[in-house]
Amino acid sequence: MLKIKKENINTMIEMLMKDFLVYAPVKDGVRTAFKAISSPDEISLGSVKSEKSPKEIFFPQSEVLFEYSKDSVTVPEKNEKPYLLWGVRNCDVKSIRMLDKVFGNAHQSPDNSMFKDPYWKQRYDSSVIFNFACNQPLTTCFCNWFGGDPFDETGSDVFFIETETDFLFKGVSEKGIALLNKSGLKEDAGDDNAVQKIREEAQARMQPASDITPLFEKLSKIWDAPVWTKVASKCVNCGACAFICPTCHCFDVSDEGKNGKGRRVRLWDACMFPIFTCEASGHNPRGNSTQRVKQRVMHKFNYFMDNYGIHLCTGCGRCIAVCPVNFDIREVIKEILKYEIKDKVTADV
Amino acid sequence: MCNGYLPIQMRVGNILAENPDKTLKTFDLSFINDKDRDEFRYMPGQFCEFSILGKGESPFGIASSPTEKDILKFTVNRTGSVTREIHYLQQGDIVGIRGPLGNWYPVEKFKGGDVVIIGGGFAFTTLRSLLVYTLEHRKDYGKITVIYGARNPDLLIYKEELNEWDKRSDLSLHLTIDRSVEGWTKHCGFVPSITKEVAPDPASWAVVCGPPVMIKFTLPVLKGLGFADDKIYTSLERRMKCGIGKCGRCGIGSKYVCIDGPVFSFEELKKIPEAF
Amino acid sequence: MLQDLKGAVRKIIEEKKADLVIGWKQGTLPGTATPLFIETPEEVSELIFDSTCRNNLTSYLTKDKRKLSKDYKKIGVIVKGCDARSVVLYAVENQIKRENVFIIGVPCSGVYEKKKLRSVAGGREILSVRKSGIIVTVKGYDYEISVPEKDVLSDSCIFCRYPDAREYDIFIGEPRKEVEVDGEFSVIEDFAKKSAEERWEYIKAEYSKCIRCYACRNVCPSCYCNECFVDQNSPKWIGKAPETSDSIVFHLIRNIHIAGRCVDCGSCVTACPVDVDLRIMNKKVEKEIKERFNYTAGLDINEKPVMATFCEHENQDFIMS
Repeated sequence: MLKIKKENINTMIEMLMKDFLVYAPVKDGVRTAFKAISSPDEISLGSVKSEKSPKEIFFPQSEVLFEYSKDSVTVPEKNEKPYLLWGVRNCDVKSIRMLDKVFGNAHQSPDNSMFKDPYWKQRYDSSVIFNFACNQPLTTCFCNWFGGDPFDETGSDVFFIETETDFLFKGVSEKGIALLNKSGLKEDAGDDNAVQKIREEAQARMQPASDITPLFEKLSKIWDAPVWTKVASKCVNCGACAFICPTCHCFDVSDEGKNGKGRRVRLWDACMFPIFTCEASGHNPRGNSTQRVKQRVMHKFNYFMDNYGIHLCTGCGRCIAVCPVNFDIREVIKEILKYEIKDKVTADV
Repeated sequence: MCNGYLPIQMRVGNILAENPDKTLKTFDLSFINDKDRDEFRYMPGQFCEFSILGKGESPFGIASSPTEKDILKFTVNRTGSVTREIHYLQQGDIVGIRGPLGNWYPVEKFKGGDVVIIGGGFAFTTLRSLLVYTLEHRKDYGKITVIYGARNPDLLIYKEELNEWDKRSDLSLHLTIDRSVEGWTKHCGFVPSITKEVAPDPASWAVVCGPPVMIKFTLPVLKGLGFADDKIYTSLERRMKCGIGKCGRCGIGSKYVCIDGPVFSFEELKKIPEAF
Repeated sequence: MLQDLKGAVRKIIEEKKADLVIGWKQGTLPGTATPLFIETPEEVSELIFDSTCRNNLTSYLTKDKRKLSKDYKKIGVIVKGCDARSVVLYAVENQIKRENVFIIGVPCSGVYEKKKLRSVAGGREILSVRKSGIIVTVKGYDYEISVPEKDVLSDSCIFCRYPDAREYDIFIGEPRKEVEVDGEFSVIEDFAKKSAEERWEYIKAEYSKCIRCYACRNVCPSCYCNECFVDQNSPKWIGKAPETSDSIVFHLIRNIHIAGRCVDCGSCVTACPVDVDLRIMNKKVEKEIKERFNYTAGLDINEKPVMATFCEHENQDFIMS
């Protein structure tokens, strides 16, 4: 791995800032959030991951799709340097790659360019992601349920680790390797033992993983089962989990205008909100809370796998930390796996 | 890069009020840019997102057939805030259209076979597209049967064309209303019971569009007549926003109505518990 | 006390005094409790009551279009003082029938605020929260910090006048009377002393953080409208984008809607994922109601709602001046 002493890291970041708009975790009161930095001093890698996920860098909460006036429709121009995301945990890296499957494509007709979201692609295609190893996973982290690990580098462009005295870097993707080649950092194999020790300590902190292999099939069979009422009972349908989740991507499109001028805006939305599926006639296919909770769980652990072969969750645990009623998705998964299907529960999905 | 969120501009042409209440209006839209017109290729069953900039967008099935050149026809029921604005439109106004979106009725599969078109109320829009298309390609299809019903005669749409189609000998048209009304000489009864009376050949392809309750009761009739699930098609509706499979709103099970549908066979719908 | 509580709830279930009892059980995070829905005597064993029991459980009586009230004839709910006032509010506003709710009062000495616990921990992960007398110890992997309990109590609790339910069917322990508090509105009074610019800058800074997740609205026991103004589009009251001006208007309107109905349970503050200072507006409205109408929500089941009743003797100087 390439090595740089901790006291010199700012020089490296300043060099990167010449070619990239660098986003990094920054202290925000007691919390940490991803923001564009104007100086490396603002960065706070910290031991705790950011409360809000970095998905908003590529998929802002509010995005103007176009502005219109009587004669024209114009898409806002973006003249920014390519983005560099510094200090992203692997759960968030994987989430961003998952979102590219949705925004960069469609699960049908992958070659139809109408399905490529230009707003996402414009930011995402030229971006570079620096994956930061998790030396101190949280008790809410459950990436290992999905085959993840505190030192996983899958999906990253560059992977880096913090030791007591240095930062160690490794290029993972072609883009990442090329970038590091230009950096002038020196190769140093001497730290393998130290890295191994940190890695083992991190892995020891992870809570034991549940085996979720049967989850997809199980969910396909329990549509009408009473377990859903039990699981959904405490949810208050607020939407905090969906907004904070790095993989949730449902959105609303809203027109705002007056006197012939205005704009069409894309905004985060959540399937948890009561009127998400409400039709103009007043009919609402998901009118009650249990149906909406079921939708969230099914989308994450059944439907997405059906279309893309992976679960729409990376085990980051933010939803557990933020939920006002401590709705814990790990408990829900365990409850579903534990549920015994009685004979005549439902037709197979 | 192609931007699936940007509407193209269309001009409002002829507007026809389909019923005396004027709650149903049919709009003929024409392309403003030749390039848009030349690139717009669609098939019966597809839909468009109709924009009134500043107010919003709503999805509507395309009622015109691709064989009717240069116009797009939509029939709009005035229900909510966007449809109310659409109803205020005058000839010459400019609106936005995004499309064509979704999949279409499998007319290639239907070739050589008999086709039964069953519709209820103002859900007949894409069925009109299908019917005009098959009539334009008459030689490709066998018997064409149409069963179309509404609560009362006022709520039947495309009345002039219905009269024309009734006169044709190469198509069998059955119109029905729920309860008898003075002056009405055709069938009387709900669409499912008329379907049972007409008893179409179960080897035909059936396309059923209408309010969920109509579909719910028509399906057992078709099954009773011997139709297989993969020969019955329908067009689903859900609240939509992006129309291009991103925003998650129109999801039913793992499918999105805007890209995996709106046309689905019953074979496919059987597997989706949320469909009805 | 906990054993007595469990015994009482078990008896209520066994004697069918309620078909469902809502209480709390240990959450999956340290220093957190989670709602527990008890239908059988066996489920009572998980019940807890301590300073981590932040949620106002009464909101389940009216949420989701009063679904629980339709599914269960009689519902028991374990309440702190503020929670019990919500039940009174529901009775006053005809959202529940009093005889269908079995109120189980418990003695409350305040709940811990998540934000304050996090502050004590310096933003580091918390592994345990323990109380010993009036000291609370917050522990992590490589730290252990003890603070006086009042440093981590919710602001709502520090100035709480009514810690125990005044309306109940049974009370476990001895209920206290109204507590004398000083400086209940001191934060508001201090804020009012700042210049208009300073106040506006503060409000703007706080409410620009709002991500419009509506967690505050959804956990609030007083927010139970079937259709919230936020979801209406004819007319469209506010834009849906998280722009500061729209966010401020959302909170202003919500505060007006809960004027005279807020019981200061602190659920909104706890639920907010981005730590917006919601009480600065909330408490101001509560102060206005107290001063203009000498009214506090949820104390008397026979009272009429303050903002829905006209009284000839009301102060009308805002019309006359």
